[in-house]
Amino acid sequence: MTQVTVLPDDVRVAAGDGETVLAALGRAGLKYRIGCRRGGCGICKLQLVAGEVRYERPVAESVLSDDEKVAGICLSCRAVPITNILVELQEGDKLRRVLPYGFASGNTGAPPKGSRS
Amino acid sequence: MSVMRLGFVHIRVTDLEESRNHYTNTLGMDVVHEEPGKLWLKCWDEYDHHSLVLEEGGVGLVKLGYKVESEADLVSYEKRAQQFGTTTGRVSKGENLTVGDGVRITLPSEQNIELFKDIEFTGTKTGSLNPDPWPREQKGIAAHWIDHALVPAEDPGLVEKFFMDVLDFHAAERAITNPSHPEVLGSWLACGESPHDFAVVKGPNAKLHHFAFHLEDWSAILRAGDIMSMDDVSIDFGPTRHGITRGTTIYFFDPSGNRNEVFAGLGYRTFPDFPTVNWTEDQLAKGIFYIQRELNDTFLTVYS
Repeated sequence: MTQVTVLPDDVRVAAGDGETVLAALGRAGLKYRIGCRRGGCGICKLQLVAGEVRYERPVAESVLSDDEKVAGICLSCRAVPITNILVELQEGDKLRRVLPYGFASGNTGAPPKGSRS
Repeated sequence: MSVMRLGFVHIRVTDLEESRNHYTNTLGMDVVHEEPGKLWLKCWDEYDHHSLVLEEGGVGLVKLGYKVESEADLVSYEKRAQQFGTTTGRVSKGENLTVGDGVRITLPSEQNIELFKDIEFTGTKTGSLNPDPWPREQKGIAAHWIDHALVPAEDPGLVEKFFMDVLDFHAAERAITNPSHPEVLGSWLACGESPHDFAVVKGPNAKLHHFAFHLEDWSAILRAGDIMSMDDVSIDFGPTRHGITRGTTIYFFDPSGNRNEVFAGLGYRTFPDFPTVNWTEDQLAKGIFYIQRELNDTFLTVYS
């Protein structure tokens, strides 16, 4: 289990083993700017400020280039944290809370059965 | 003589096995041929050899194949495309599996289409002698056929003009800025009597917006939505109705992020004298999602 911290709000959620950044934030009832959720469009890119992620599925070079990876950009629907990470939303985007019961702190890690991407 | 229909869609996928699962177990297509890194599929109600080619590596559109009636069509459309100023090329028999000689055209919006006349005939699952209305063993959504495709273009008016002037399509519906200054924002174009066989909206060149599967009716759309949830398919929008074409719909994404649609309800027929329906920019959201009358933030921004 790793911790995902989102700037600029400093919201923290836990990501389960193999869980993507998008899935962890979604499970905590948080929304931000995303597109296809399947690695095809690149809309959900975040700046990876600290920490490391890995990609368990292939990502098209046309969607996330090597140069972008070097520049610390991650594709949040495919990126799985392997350490605690600090990410920053794109300029003009903000986290929205769509599940008003509890908050991100209630997301303690292991996804229950039925919660997928 | 004319273009008859969208014959095949050829796309790139990042993971062939996830895509196989999506297009067979969820949508109910059958794999008709495979080679390393490539799959050919068809729907149960289609009688040509295949309607979808999946190629591993990347995402997005490789090409759209449109089937014409005669050899003379190929010659004439090639010449007219050249006169229009588009880049054309010849496609040799066998370059596309079981498909005959063809003509490749790069659209003004940089997507490639290929016109062909011949493709191996393999028949529908229910056959053409005393057939049952549907095959009971088909998996998942059991889509009937691939119906149409939509691509984005920096200049949708030019793409509309190409399809009308060169390929003899007619515009069933059109999105414009306003009637006094009718810049084309989108166009839904038909070669036969269905509301659209091809569509274009304003957006980036060379990309794919979606390709659509025909379902029987509104209740099949709901059932398809249930199956998508069972299979954890990423939904873009729906179920809802389109103002444009009157079709009922769900937009969703394949496992590589290429947008698909299930589409039902041939809302009307379009004869060559059909009066084009126009939607103004201020009412376009209603034209696209008739019930919600509001666009989500992905429909006109997400392309593969």
